Amino acid sequence: MASLLSALVAFIITLSVLSYVFFGDWALFRVVMYLFIGAAAGYGGAVALRSVLWPMLFRPLIFQRQLLALVPLLLVALLLTKALRGKVSRWGNVAVGYLVGVGAAVAVGGAVRGTIFPQSVATMDALNLHLAAQKGISPFEFLVTGAFMLVGTVTTLAYFHFGARPQRNRPPQRAAWITALATVGQWFIAVAFGALFAGVLLAAATALAASIGQLWQFLSILLPH
Amino acid sequence: MKAPVATAVAMAVGIVVLVGYFIPLSIFTGLRMLLLQWAIILAGAALFVGMVNLSQHHWARIRARRGVGSAWLVFSLWATFFITFYFAPASLPTRWLFDAILLPASVALLGVLAVSLTVAAVRLPRRRPGLFTILFLTTTVLILLGSIGIPGVGSLPFVSNLLRPWLAQVPAAAGARGILLGVALGTVATGLRILLGSDRPYSE
Repeated sequence: MASLLSALVAFIITLSVLSYVFFGDWALFRVVMYLFIGAAAGYGGAVALRSVLWPMLFRPLIFQRQLLALVPLLLVALLLTKALRGKVSRWGNVAVGYLVGVGAAVAVGGAVRGTIFPQSVATMDALNLHLAAQKGISPFEFLVTGAFMLVGTVTTLAYFHFGARPQRNRPPQRAAWITALATVGQWFIAVAFGALFAGVLLAAATALAASIGQLWQFLSILLPH
Repeated sequence: MKAPVATAVAMAVGIVVLVGYFIPLSIFTGLRMLLLQWAIILAGAALFVGMVNLSQHHWARIRARRGVGSAWLVFSLWATFFITFYFAPASLPTRWLFDAILLPASVALLGVLAVSLTVAAVRLPRRRPGLFTILFLTTTVLILLGSIGIPGVGSLPFVSNLLRPWLAQVPAAAGARGILLGVALGTVATGLRILLGSDRPYSE
């Protein structure tokens, strides 16, 4: 019974969301969106309270008497002052500053160790002939592909170079050789975005097929065989 | 100077966490883990505060008689919250909610995205005609043809075996690598500006 009710609710929700394709932002679609946002927010809040705040903050503080847990409790209290009006809300900046500082450090560390080093090494390895021998590829093919990769990476990076020299009576312009590299980079960016777009479109089409399949599955339960 | 205490806190914790990333001494890594744990607690609290704030906003709309949808939102929010909190996220009632509401709505929204993206791709040449649009759409069509083929015909030999892998693994990978490196360099520059106190997004 519970599974049939679940299937019925899922059927109504799927049909309402897919109706956007034909009717646009109409009443039923909007109601389902409100329901979805509410359920997602409630789920996120409950998981935050049950899986983060309770085991990491309240339980150590109440049952294990860990005084160090008073620090995050103080930060949480400071964060809550952001909801108040007047000058007291400025104390919330300390908690936000803490989050921003840790976030910035994690982003910098992640970018350097997770992207810049590995991607640079991979780009340099594109011309490493020892790897060609290991992979069993002919050196010529390996070098041509590697050179292509290197040109693509460097020119794409050049596209993101926004440094420009000020010029008298004219808006600042970047150097001519950077502009030339950036134009080549645009070609690689167009191909990269085209491939990414195709990937997203394939994933979304798979989801559409799954949704339609779900609708059909529910209808086939109801229809007489 | 605006928000000196918040700036000092952001710089101090940021530098300690960053040092913990690059210097493998137990004192730094331990401190980094502790500060990260506190940040996770704070982020969890921020999520909870956000949920309460959303509920308050829609409650005000209900009181002003301005939204049937808001009533649905508040009802589903608190019902999901209490069920998930009381029974645990992996319990049967929570799974029922997930399977009946969250999963079908997410999948159907992604399905709607397929239609929106297709319409956008068809309209693109009229909106922004040009060489890069042609290149973008040609790559998309070739990758799609190489991945799924043509209905009734099957996979296309040259496109599936040679062209699609080459497009995805050489020019697209080179472009994506350049974009990734550009994003990473931008992240480092922005992050360092925050850690050095030049940017203070937390001060009002």
